[in-house]
Amino acid sequence: MRPVLQATHIEKSFNVQNIRTRALIDVTVDICRAEFTLMIGPSGCGKSTLLAILSGMSSPDQGAVHVGSFNLSELTDEQRDLFRLKYCGFIFQGFNLFPALTALEQVQVPLDYMNIPEDEARERALLALDHVGLSKRKHLRPAEMSGGEKQRVAIARAIVKRPVILFADEPTSALDSENGRNVIEILRATAKETGTAVLCVSHDMRLLSKADRVLQMEDGRLLRDERPNAVSQSTERDVP
Amino acid sequence: MISIARKTLLHDWRRFLPAAVAVAFSGVLMTVQGALLLGIVSANALYVTQSSADYWVGFPGTQSVELGRTVPADTAAELYAEAGVSHTEPLLIGSGDWRAAQGGGVSVTIIGIESAADAKGLDRVIPRALRNLLSAPGAIAIDAADAGKLSVKLGDRAEINGRAVELIGFIDGLRGLGGVNVVASLQTARTLDTALPADGGATYFLYNVKRAGEGESIARRLNNRGSPPRYEVWRAGMLADMSTLYMLLDSGAGIAFVFATLIAMLIGAVITSQTLMAAVAGTIPQYATLRALGVPFPRLRKIVVEQAAWVGLAGLVASLVISLTIALLAAIYRVPFDLRISVIAGASGVVLLVAMVACMLAIHRLRDADPASLLR
Ligand SMILES: Nc1ncnc2c1ncn2[C@@H]1O[C@H](COP(=O)(O)OP(=O)(O)O)[C@@H](O)[C@H]1O
Ligand SMILES: [Mg+2]
Repeated sequence: MRPVLQATHIEKSFNVQNIRTRALIDVTVDICRAEFTLMIGPSGCGKSTLLAILSGMSSPDQGAVHVGSFNLSELTDEQRDLFRLKYCGFIFQGFNLFPALTALEQVQVPLDYMNIPEDEARERALLALDHVGLSKRKHLRPAEMSGGEKQRVAIARAIVKRPVILFADEPTSALDSENGRNVIEILRATAKETGTAVLCVSHDMRLLSKADRVLQMEDGRLLRDERPNAVSQSTERDVP
Repeated sequence: MISIARKTLLHDWRRFLPAAVAVAFSGVLMTVQGALLLGIVSANALYVTQSSADYWVGFPGTQSVELGRTVPADTAAELYAEAGVSHTEPLLIGSGDWRAAQGGGVSVTIIGIESAADAKGLDRVIPRALRNLLSAPGAIAIDAADAGKLSVKLGDRAEINGRAVELIGFIDGLRGLGGVNVVASLQTARTLDTALPADGGATYFLYNVKRAGEGESIARRLNNRGSPPRYEVWRAGMLADMSTLYMLLDSGAGIAFVFATLIAMLIGAVITSQTLMAAVAGTIPQYATLRALGVPFPRLRKIVVEQAAWVGLAGLVASLVISLTIALLAAIYRVPFDLRISVIAGASGVVLLVAMVACMLAIHRLRDADPASLLR
């Protein structure tokens, strides 16, 4: 497996009213291309904090994050913005769509900021919406869509730029199980079809079977790092 | 490029409405009080603005038209000697004590004007027929609005400085600030106020020029003749502005205006910035989302600036429409309301400044747009 992102010895703590919380303790992890990686762990164990650091939204107290030839901690804020703009996609638990924009416009926004010509941006946005099965809903605003549809628009917005890494923080928590499964299917397919490294945070244990790789966190530490399907494949091979 | 700024503004217009209203409010406040004030104090320049003479010649150093003192009779000769001067006439300003059949004494200003048909003195309010009637000895005219103050009706007799006068007509548009204007012929004025020069001198000499292009050079030549100067020449517009400004400063109204404008500005800036800040604060998650997508901070600032500009523009247009409506109502109800381009431009400039300051303050709120806050 080829890692696109390597994080080594990440430490992060927060001070709130003189009480220090160690959110991440010596976390070393890499994320690989074309893999659907699932990160699980109880609430408050540091999953979101790790996601923010891996994507360059916040800086670790210690440790380094390397993506390709970049060392994120050596980049300026502007360079990290540019890094996210060019290489990262995001999906949030709360969808975070723009209330004023139609589905098509939502998906076009990242391309606009990447200075992609209007016509091409529109075409790519339509394709991305089609990919998540929403080409018929392209004129709807978030207020007119269901939760599942909103999250699919958010996925289209994340994948339209063909990111190298796609971060998803509890993308299914606000959805019913059917829509949740649907969303996970799309994320998994994205990893397989485009070679994007997908890192998805969830506490939904039913998703375990879908993951290529499972990272388990607890109290700021990475406890387990497994590839369950690879293991089962090798067992299958073992058993005639 | 999808304009998030504009689309959000249109979608969330309720959120931005208070800011636009605040901008419009401070704009209207400044415009209306500026126009009202100008309307009131510009009454001090009525003698000039209601006459169609191009140039006025008066006592050197005069600061305001009603403060004119006698210039000697030979001034007229010097004006006639200028080949470019087409028409010249005297104008007298004196004072008197009015007594009607009933009612007590009222001090009045007596304006003596030329009776010739082509006279320019107060010709914007005194039509030819009325001017003709005024040539009768003792004939006077007053602004219709002053009839009550003087307790007279058309055709009534009264006394000024103990001499009989007869009200032969009403004028529309010569209502003074505090005092009452009584218009008479030059001869009548001289008999009513014996302090007025009888030797051919006058408070002012009015003249027009044959070719407009020559006006300034003639005025300059006249102004440089004789030292110490015995008279001074002003363009009519200049004397009018001097008189308005004099009243503005002399009455203290100017200070009141500056003070009220500062208050309007302050209120506008506070309300506008508060509402803009609230609008930004209310959409922080959207800004944080943009940050997460990798949109750099300056582009977020641009969104706020664009929204503030639209809010400012909307407020400005509203302010303009409201101010013009008020000007129309003022004209209908004869309220002195002088809505000049300079007032509109000044108020608009201040209002845009207010919107800009509000925008700067609102931009500070963007610091809260931490993309990591979306991951919790
Ligand atoms: N911005 C912050 N300020 C203070 N404490 C924080 C902040 N972000 C996270 N934490 C703390 O760090 C720990 C990990 O949080 P988080 O990464 O959000 O957990 P998870 O996503 O796994 O539920 C928690 O104890 C949380 O309270
Ligand atoms: Mg979390």
